[in-house]
Amino acid sequence: MEEKVIEIKNISKVYKIENFKVNALNGINLNVTKGEYVAIMGPSGSGKSTLMNIIGCLDTPTKGTYTLDSQDISKLNDNRLAEIRNKKVGFVFQTFNLLSRYSAIDNIELPLIYSKGRLPKPRREMIMDVIISVGLKGREKHRPSQMSGGERQRVAIARALINSPSIILADEPTGNLDSRTGEEIMAIFEDLNLRGSTIFLVTHELDIARHTDRILYLRDGIITGEEKIKKPISAKDTLKNMPTLEDRISKLEENKNYEKDI
Amino acid sequence: MKRIFENLKVAFKSLNSNKLRAFLTMLGIIIGVGSVVAVISIGAGAEALITQNLQSMGTNVITISPGRAEPRGEGGPMRHLEDANTETIDEGELHLEDAIALQAKATLLNEVVPVLYGRNSTISYMSWSGQVSVTGTTQDFLTVQGYKMAEGNFITESDVSNLSNVAVIGNTVAEDYFGKINPVGEIIKINGKNFVISGLLQTIGTAGFGSDPDNSIYIPITTAQNKLYGTDTVDSIIAKLKNENQLDESTAEVKSILRIQHRIMPGENNDFSVSSPTQFLETASSVLQILSITLGGIAAISLLVGGIGIMNIMFVSVTERTREIGIRKSLGAKNRDILMQFLTESIILSLLGGLLGIGFAYLISWLVKTFSGLSPLITATPIILALSFSTAIGLIFGIFPAMRAARLNPIESLRYE
Repeated sequence: MEEKVIEIKNISKVYKIENFKVNALNGINLNVTKGEYVAIMGPSGSGKSTLMNIIGCLDTPTKGTYTLDSQDISKLNDNRLAEIRNKKVGFVFQTFNLLSRYSAIDNIELPLIYSKGRLPKPRREMIMDVIISVGLKGREKHRPSQMSGGERQRVAIARALINSPSIILADEPTGNLDSRTGEEIMAIFEDLNLRGSTIFLVTHELDIARHTDRILYLRDGIITGEEKIKKPISAKDTLKNMPTLEDRISKLEENKNYEKDI
Repeated sequence: MKRIFENLKVAFKSLNSNKLRAFLTMLGIIIGVGSVVAVISIGAGAEALITQNLQSMGTNVITISPGRAEPRGEGGPMRHLEDANTETIDEGELHLEDAIALQAKATLLNEVVPVLYGRNSTISYMSWSGQVSVTGTTQDFLTVQGYKMAEGNFITESDVSNLSNVAVIGNTVAEDYFGKINPVGEIIKINGKNFVISGLLQTIGTAGFGSDPDNSIYIPITTAQNKLYGTDTVDSIIAKLKNENQLDESTAEVKSILRIQHRIMPGENNDFSVSSPTQFLETASSVLQILSITLGGIAAISLLVGGIGIMNIMFVSVTERTREIGIRKSLGAKNRDILMQFLTESIILSLLGGLLGIGFAYLISWLVKTFSGLSPLITATPIILALSFSTAIGLIFGIFPAMRAARLNPIESLRYE
């Protein structure tokens, strides 16, 4: 039997804004098994963010149960939720959310600072392991302001990986990146998934969603459809065929010359 | 322990990235702690100086002054001050005869010396002239005051009885008028009258109050009364006790002799007063203490203002770093972790301000010492007090901003721009 990482049973979320009640989620059922690569798609206002916050243990549902790694999260207090976030969830955000005054190493170290108990390996070693796995070796002393968008997102991914979480939650991870860099980031996720990580991706780009095994469509707080991708797009293959920025610039110039010639 | 270290690291990192702001925030605490410590130290220094001076005057000496209200020993120094204000002051005079009577009748006194204190008089030697304070006294003045001769002799008993025109000069006078020449035997004019210099005193050093004993001339009291100033009174009578532990008994004896001498009826107030350096010391110390506490209190208000400054900046910092707080929370920081992070920062801010403030106090003390000669006494007590006070300020004024930070909702914080 496949091991369930996420088990969501009939959860709803109601926000009270002044005297209005807003139903952000209306009975969501969702299972994610270990090692799965799932995308959730939906327009703004569909409840994507709310679902993501609940899965990421930043919020709790109004009704229903949420089990992460066979632990019921629905009724935990703030402190317990913080511990779960620290140990079991790795966040990757659209805007990277790195601390600007901190070097890559210091940013990646943050979750370790808040970890209880002994670490399996010395800190430095753990940090270097994840730095290598996202391909950032040699850039570890740089601050976010000294890095490109792709590099910043790699730091964020490394930070998400440091505590070996049960699930990686990526919220529009390519939203702020050009398409080639975005594809490079997708290649990293692909690689992590191949090595056994469970990844939950939130996006509104179908091209990005098609890299996963399964797409869930969310609208008005309910899951309206589900699509199994038989042959997911391989980011690595796409990259091979994708012209680099330099290629495209030279091509543009060729075109210009061509136009001149005519 | 690991957490404390992490918190310190985070706090220093954030202060370091905003050095000017951190310094300006600390300035309130620096000035507050600096002025509190400086004021207390200057007060302590002044007290030490007064004590030292009064002790050099001798604790075994009592002074009898004319026409002052009687200070009451039991009431303490504050009582003394109140009495001085509330009791009627009886007119009275002291005369040479009073000193003679005391010398003859008192059993608990050694030397009794009448003094006609420092009247500024014009003195001239050859073509130089100037104003110097002239004191009329008797032969025992030297012993009672503990002064020593450098050259020649002090006034003698026969000088006093013969109204001799002899003068003993202080060291400053000698330097000013004679330079390197030995002044003994030279003739100077005091208010136009010739005086032979019979002796030169060794340097005494400043006594801190009234006239400078080095810049004075001493002549027989009889000469001063009859030939220079035309008076039959004396300004005070100084007497040396046989036993300094018998201050109260000696004072009582002096009073009873003088009451008979002045024919004061029982029930009437004394027309003179008896005081000792010890009494004066107590009064001076208490006045200085009140002054120190008052000034220190005013300075402490700036500490409070500094604390409010810290609170203000910490609130700004929390708002500014809302997103950072959201990030930290999403990565597993608990409310307590955020609280400690901001609390550590404000405590470091105020503690660092306190340390710099102590440096500032040392600077003020050095300036005071350099420019006034009074050396402030920096003791451990005000330093420890100021440091713990400033740490407490960091804690008290840091707790509200830190609590606000800790309570921030992670989802909203992450969205904060």
